[in-house]
Amino acid sequence: MVDRPLDEAELVERARHGDPEAWETLVRTYQGIAFRTAYLLAGSATDAEEAAQDGFLKAQRALARFRRGAALKPWLLRIVANEARNRRRSAGRRERLVLLAAAEARPGDAVPSPEAALLAREEQTRLLAAVERLPDDHRDAIACRYLLDLSEEETAAALGVRRGTVKSRLARALARLRESLEDEA
Amino acid sequence: MSSLERRLHSLGRELAFPPEPNLAASARPIGAGPFPWRWVALAAAVVVAVAAAFTVPQARTAIFRFFHIRGATVERVETLPQAQERSQAGGLGRRLALADAERRVGFQLLLPAFRGEPRVYVLDGVLATVILRLGDRPVLLSEYRATSYQSLKKSVPGSGTVEPVRVDGEAGLWLEGPPHTLTYFSANGEFRQRTVKITGNVLLWTHGPATLRLEGRISKSQALRLARRIR
Repeated sequence: MVDRPLDEAELVERARHGDPEAWETLVRTYQGIAFRTAYLLAGSATDAEEAAQDGFLKAQRALARFRRGAALKPWLLRIVANEARNRRRSAGRRERLVLLAAAEARPGDAVPSPEAALLAREEQTRLLAAVERLPDDHRDAIACRYLLDLSEEETAAALGVRRGTVKSRLARALARLRESLEDEA
Repeated sequence: MSSLERRLHSLGRELAFPPEPNLAASARPIGAGPFPWRWVALAAAVVVAVAAAFTVPQARTAIFRFFHIRGATVERVETLPQAQERSQAGGLGRRLALADAERRVGFQLLLPAFRGEPRVYVLDGVLATVILRLGDRPVLLSEYRATSYQSLKKSVPGSGTVEPVRVDGEAGLWLEGPPHTLTYFSANGEFRQRTVKITGNVLLWTHGPATLRLEGRISKSQALRLARRIR
C-alpha cells in the first residue's frame, strides 16, 4: 500500500484538529503568494513578513470558523492582505518596485537581440512607473490581478471587496494606464 | 485578454521581490527542529527566556514556535537554561555619558522626556540600556540597531504569553511572566552564552532603524503607554 499525499481539505481538517505538521504544510504551500501579496500591498519587505506571519497566526486561530469545502487560498489571502493594508496605512510609506536584473532571465526564456531587449526593458520600466502612479485602490487591483496573477475571486478576497468592484476597478485602472502610456508616447 | 493585460502579466514575472521568508518554520511545533542558527548574521543578540506565571492558556499561545519582528525573534523552548540571579542594572555593560554611548553604538538613542542626564550602559558596543523610573520602580530601556529579525532572540516556555502588539503603528511583542534568562552574542557574531535571571515583563518593538525593549515589573498597558513616549 502506498501513502498518497493529503489533499488540501484533509490537511485543513487535520490542522483544525491541532495537527501542527498539517498546518505547516499549508503554510509552506501558501507562504510565497501570501508574502508577495503582502509586499505589494504593504510596500515593504519587513511589513510584508510581519503581515504574512500575523496573518497565518490569525488564520490558524480562526480555522474552526473556516467553511468546510471552501477554497483556502482566498481565505488566507484575505487575512494576510488585511494585515498588510493595516501596516501600509500606519506606516504611510512604500518601497519602490524594481525589475529583476537583466541577467536574471529565467532558464528557457528566449534570448532577444540586445536592441530588442533594451526596448522591452524600457517598456517594462515605463509600465511599472505608470502602475506606481495609479491611485492606491487601482494599483492594488492591478497588482493582485495581473502582477501576482490572482484570479478575480482571489483578488476580491485580497482587497476585501466584491468581484464586481474588482472588475470595475480593473477597467478604470486599465483605462488610466492606457492614457498615461499614450501621454508619454 | 488585451495587449496591456498581457504586458502586465509579463511585468509581474519580471518584478524583483524580496527573498521569501520561511514562515513554515515559524509554524513548526516545539521540538520539531533546531533554530536555523546559520541564518543568524549577528552584530549582537540577547536571549531572554520567560519562565513562569503566564496567564494565557496554552492552547491559545502554543501555536507558533517562532515570532518575529525586525531585530528580534521569540522562540518557545521546552526547557529554560540555567541562570543566575542578577540585579536589573547588573551585566548591562559599561556606563557612559549619553553622547559617548550614542557614538559607541552609532545611532541616536530614543528616550522619553528626561530630567537630567540619563544613566546609559553599553554592552559590547551594540546594546545601549537606559534606566528609567516608573513611579518608584526601575524599568530598563534597551536599544540596538538591527538589520535582521534574528538579531535578538528571546525564549519563552511553551505555556508563556507572547502577544503581538502595535506601538504607534510599529510591530511589537509583549512577553509576560518572570523570571527571564538572558544570553547574548558577541559583536562579531560569535556565540557567547551568558545567562542571567531577570524579573519582569518585556515589551519589544521597533521604531525607525532601532529595535527597543522595555523590561521591568510593569503591566502591558503601562509598558505601551511608556513606549509611546519614547521617541
